[in-house]
Amino acid sequence: MTRNSTLHIIFALLIGLGLGIAYSWFLSPVTYVDANPSILRADFKDQYRIAIAASYQSTQDLARAQARLILLGDADPIGALSAQAQQMLAAGEPFEKVRPLAQLATDLQVGYVSNPNTPTPLPTSFSTPQVESTVEVTETIIPVTEEAQATSIPTLFFEQTPLIPTFSETITPRPTSTINPVISIPFTLVGQESFCEPSQPALMQLMFMDSRRNQVAGVEIIVTWNQGEDRFFTGFKPELGNGYADFVMQADTIYNIRVVTGGSSVSNVFAETCTEPNGFQYLGGILLTFQQP
Amino acid sequence: MSSSNLIKIIIALAIGIVLGLIYGWVVDPIEYVDVTPNILREDYRVDYVLMTAEAYQKDFDSETAARRLAILGSESPATITANALEYAIANNFTETEIQYLQTLLTAMQTYSP
Repeated sequence: MTRNSTLHIIFALLIGLGLGIAYSWFLSPVTYVDANPSILRADFKDQYRIAIAASYQSTQDLARAQARLILLGDADPIGALSAQAQQMLAAGEPFEKVRPLAQLATDLQVGYVSNPNTPTPLPTSFSTPQVESTVEVTETIIPVTEEAQATSIPTLFFEQTPLIPTFSETITPRPTSTINPVISIPFTLVGQESFCEPSQPALMQLMFMDSRRNQVAGVEIIVTWNQGEDRFFTGFKPELGNGYADFVMQADTIYNIRVVTGGSSVSNVFAETCTEPNGFQYLGGILLTFQQP
Repeated sequence: MSSSNLIKIIIALAIGIVLGLIYGWVVDPIEYVDVTPNILREDYRVDYVLMTAEAYQKDFDSETAARRLAILGSESPATITANALEYAIANNFTETEIQYLQTLLTAMQTYSP
């Protein structure tokens, strides 16, 4: 074999290699089926998170919600929930739509269901669709007594996420959302403390706790001043506390604070001037602590 | 160029193509990101439908449920739910989960946008 023909063979091999790669990457790439949620487009991941949070609102199964969130492959699932909640609020979405995300973020942070559903009284009978193996639906009346209870154990049906059966629930045919009796109790201002922190100038910090000093998420606050009004909720910065919310004040402005949940209010709140030893002046912050009796 | 050399070149070309295909399909295939939910593996799809069914148990909002299911593809929400229900029955989901899916199926069968 001459040197020339060897070069031809090597050249043909390289051309074949290039053709093969081009075909497998561009003309007929691997067809993707059986994808997992971690490679979903960002907006679909948002939809997935909303579905997880909405499901959690219904089932209160924190372990399963956590397992489902892990599927999305977020480095910080709680942060992703909080960020999405804040983005939705900023986009003008109603708080009722955002609340499940914030609630789930809060509960993952604390590690328990902080706002359990209150079961509703069982009716004497209700309609339940019965499905044959062919998935044809028929209506059947099933009698139900007040004592009718069942224990539900969530099953694992995909291998990647071990789901821990952690609860037993009482089946109610139509669980309805009821006002949380804990959150409807009025909050009382138990602390008002000014502080000087150059890194947090003019920051109004609000902290809400229940009677057992557990922080309470989802408290709606309205701050008004002579030129406007702002409305926000606790729980959107879980890294600072589930009962935490804050607001940046302006100089020479007096604020009135109304806690929508419970109906308490605080007036004449303003940012005091702080002076550093070197004479530098800036607006100080204020920490308002509320607690249920 | 002799015929034997030509054969060797063709063989080399064929070997190159085969190696290229193995590299492109097996060793370093195209990695997909930003995919749509319609190519989710079936168990993930069913879990998503189950989440929708669980949420429906709380709000009984057919429109929201149908909108959630719509991201799974062009099939009707009722078909998507029926497929999920069949999977759930075949894979021994709990009675509660199957009941949730049945309830959602009924809602989707009667839902008109």
